[in-house]
Amino acid sequence: MSKSSEEPAVVDSALRSLRGASVKFWVAIALLSILVGLGVVAWIVQLQQGMGVAGYSDSSFWAIYIANVVTFIGFSYGGAVVSAILLLTGASWRAPLARMSEGMALVTVLIGAAFVIPHLGRPDRIVGMITLANPASPVFWDFIAIVTYAIATLVFFVLPLVPDTAILLGTHPDDLGRFRRRLYRLVSQGWTGSAGQRGVLHRAIVAMAILIIPLAVSVHSVLAWAFTLVSRPGWHESIWAPYFVIAALYSGVALAILVIAGFRRGYHLEALIHAKHFVRLGYIMATLGALYTYLTFADLLPGAYVGEQGPVEIVHEMILGHAAVWFWLFLVAGTIVPILLVSVPRTRTIPGMVVASVLVVIAMWIKRLIMVVEAAGYDRLTMSFDDYFHFTWVSIAITVAGAAAIPLLLMLLFRVVPLLAVDEIQELSADDGPTAQRPAAPEPAPRGHKAAVVAGSLVLIGLLGIGVGRAQPALAEEAVTDPAEIAVTAASVGPEVDLTATVTSAGQAVADGSVYFYASTPMFAGDGNQILVGKVLTGADGVAEVSYVASEIGSVTVTAKYYADVQGAPVTSQVQVEVTEAVSPYVPAPARPLDGTGEVLVRFLFALVAVVFAIITVQVVRVRRALRTAG
Amino acid sequence: MQIHKRKPSEGLAIGPRPDLGLTPTTDSAVDRGNLSRRNLLLTLGAVGVASVGGSIGLIAYRDEAAATEAIMDPSREHQWCRVVDLRRCTGERKCVSSCQIRHGLPPEQTWMRVLSWPDEDGGEHYMPVPCQMCENPPCQAVCPVSATFTNPQGVVLVDQETCIGSRACMAACPYEARYFNWSAAVPTNRMPAESPNTPEFPANRIGTVGKCVLCADRMPYAKELPACVDACPNGVHYIGDLVTDVAVNGQTTVRLSTFLREGNAVRFKEELGTSPRTFYIPGDGQPIGGPSESVS
Repeated sequence: MSKSSEEPAVVDSALRSLRGASVKFWVAIALLSILVGLGVVAWIVQLQQGMGVAGYSDSSFWAIYIANVVTFIGFSYGGAVVSAILLLTGASWRAPLARMSEGMALVTVLIGAAFVIPHLGRPDRIVGMITLANPASPVFWDFIAIVTYAIATLVFFVLPLVPDTAILLGTHPDDLGRFRRRLYRLVSQGWTGSAGQRGVLHRAIVAMAILIIPLAVSVHSVLAWAFTLVSRPGWHESIWAPYFVIAALYSGVALAILVIAGFRRGYHLEALIHAKHFVRLGYIMATLGALYTYLTFADLLPGAYVGEQGPVEIVHEMILGHAAVWFWLFLVAGTIVPILLVSVPRTRTIPGMVVASVLVVIAMWIKRLIMVVEAAGYDRLTMSFDDYFHFTWVSIAITVAGAAAIPLLLMLLFRVVPLLAVDEIQELSADDGPTAQRPAAPEPAPRGHKAAVVAGSLVLIGLLGIGVGRAQPALAEEAVTDPAEIAVTAASVGPEVDLTATVTSAGQAVADGSVYFYASTPMFAGDGNQILVGKVLTGADGVAEVSYVASEIGSVTVTAKYYADVQGAPVTSQVQVEVTEAVSPYVPAPARPLDGTGEVLVRFLFALVAVVFAIITVQVVRVRRALRTAG
Repeated sequence: MQIHKRKPSEGLAIGPRPDLGLTPTTDSAVDRGNLSRRNLLLTLGAVGVASVGGSIGLIAYRDEAAATEAIMDPSREHQWCRVVDLRRCTGERKCVSSCQIRHGLPPEQTWMRVLSWPDEDGGEHYMPVPCQMCENPPCQAVCPVSATFTNPQGVVLVDQETCIGSRACMAACPYEARYFNWSAAVPTNRMPAESPNTPEFPANRIGTVGKCVLCADRMPYAKELPACVDACPNGVHYIGDLVTDVAVNGQTTVRLSTFLREGNAVRFKEELGTSPRTFYIPGDGQPIGGPSESVS
């Protein structure tokens, strides 16, 4: 695509962002810095006064900041697509876009990760994520996945800089200034451009491109699992992990279009970046948009169809209730209109693609916000929606600061490193065929799979054993009205305690009288507590018997009470019995079906992370070694 | 002597076990007429032994218990639980207010909620919902810094000195039993004002999560019962010990397993597999599966 541009033009274009900047540039930097500064001020206010000032409450415990984490890290994947995926598929037209999109990937993942800080109640304790880590927590794996992905993104960004910085050092050392010269020497030391070095570097870049795709999938999946691994209606959705991945790709390509359009205009790169680039990115975006719309439908349909109270109310609230305005705004402005803008030839222009991308970026943020806020606001006890999150200046200022930080950091980044992948563009223009030196598309990348921990589900119901004793058949006989007497005896046989009470009145056995047996317990405030162990009718011989299995050992005071008449005071008798054996009916909750598998999964994941870091390290070491030896 | 606890590895991972009669199958296994009219004795495992290999554990325990007799006082080992007797609840919400006073909570933070529904006759039914003290607490699993833990006696607590305020637990709790300290704790009559911030008696530090602690600082509840149990004039709330099989509501003492069985105790959201240690004695006609509307 860039065949028309001559080599010097490429170097010249790449240097534009490094040369003395215009007044406009510094004004923009100043304005963006003020916005970021305001965000920092807002964050300090939030730290002092608590997260309530950001519009949070117990019914909107997760809201704008976590939505920002998801959105901004999502943007990052757009950079990975434009750079890594297109590299692997041999789409050489990406060359002038690669550096910008890689830079965007790096900057947005950092900003997205930074949004975790205002999200946390106690960000000062964030080191606990490592020192007190709970590998059963999806949030822990969020942390691992984001860190791994950010490191890989950095490496993927730096590797292609090796030849570029060497070229610029060789051709325009005076334009660079001391700081950049020193930095460039550090990066490109030893680069000769020999075939051997090129081969090593190229293989390393391809390896990182392959690696970065599953890593990005893992990041967005684990972000989704932070929501879906709870039983909350609206979040507990199996489709969310791939849904988040597609959302990330969709919004990321949109932001990549905006970033590329911005730098193209700002640094006059029209000679290198054409409308065709935007249209091709637009096609990718529209495809992803259609896919995202489809997944949105697939996400909502089951809950709506089955009609289970929680899920159906979430769907209702989203498409017809309070969130409906936002939802339909997202659907129309965020998917239908952008897809139309790409589809209609008249609007398939750079401005058309930019408008479509702006819509997508904003709409996808709105979508994330309603997905978070709505389900969080659903009270699972009253089955109703509580107070929603409301915007306050604090949360808006912090969010705007994050948005402003994207252009700010990118502008500053490209003050330091060249805006274009000079070497790659030159290589391409040197060859006639645009795909000549490109590698054959490598084998498919391994699938991303950082599962958070499996939560088992079914549990059996029973806890305690309880039985029934023998029943004493009751015999009806005349009761006597004389003052009654009761005598109780207790015998302990193993854990079983047999209680016998004899009720007499004037020497006569009282039949059919109700005897209440109590046993004392040392639990809960001393020995005063009497537990009713049974109410038994006396037999013809005036004897009532009961037995129970002791659950505590020790001295037990047994009390038997007989009420001669309902109103009157009972006659009582007490006896001490020493219980030396006891059986507790307590049984811990039964094991759940997948108990133990979580541990295996965690080990597997740690091993996987180790492999990823090993791969990254090997690539860096290889390139360094090639630079050292071939010099 | 020690109290037997079956470890998960001792078999019976899944399958029928001695149970409380919380399931219909158990009901059919027992002659209920017999049960309610006659002596309600706790011949251990009459149900359990009949139906389960679970008894194996208990029998084995008896031998074991004889061997290790008197080494340890089983009353020292407890597994706390709650029973909420809905038959008696009249919605006075004394449990809520006494809890808020005891723990110095702001008005919007209620570690116990009392749900209510109107009935056809213009009356109301109530259901207090504290932390259910799950044996498989979802909040504990998702905590990234292990700030939520279950103490050895089964009480789920939060260490506010390590909590980073990710609020993942609030997302995970099916009972909405967790609260965040959105702003600095208001100085209250919390006593003593500067008591240490322990998991058993948290100080509601800004940026951390709080929840019902079952007044764990009062364990083993020999002198004082949890504030809500103490405060209820109707004896709705019971604190119980699964090991010694005793529960009290401040007015009467009951044999826990008998009480649960006779009251047809149920657990809230049983289907979620959280194994809550809060048992509800149904009554007053509250709907099953949660209220459809509410005050509070």
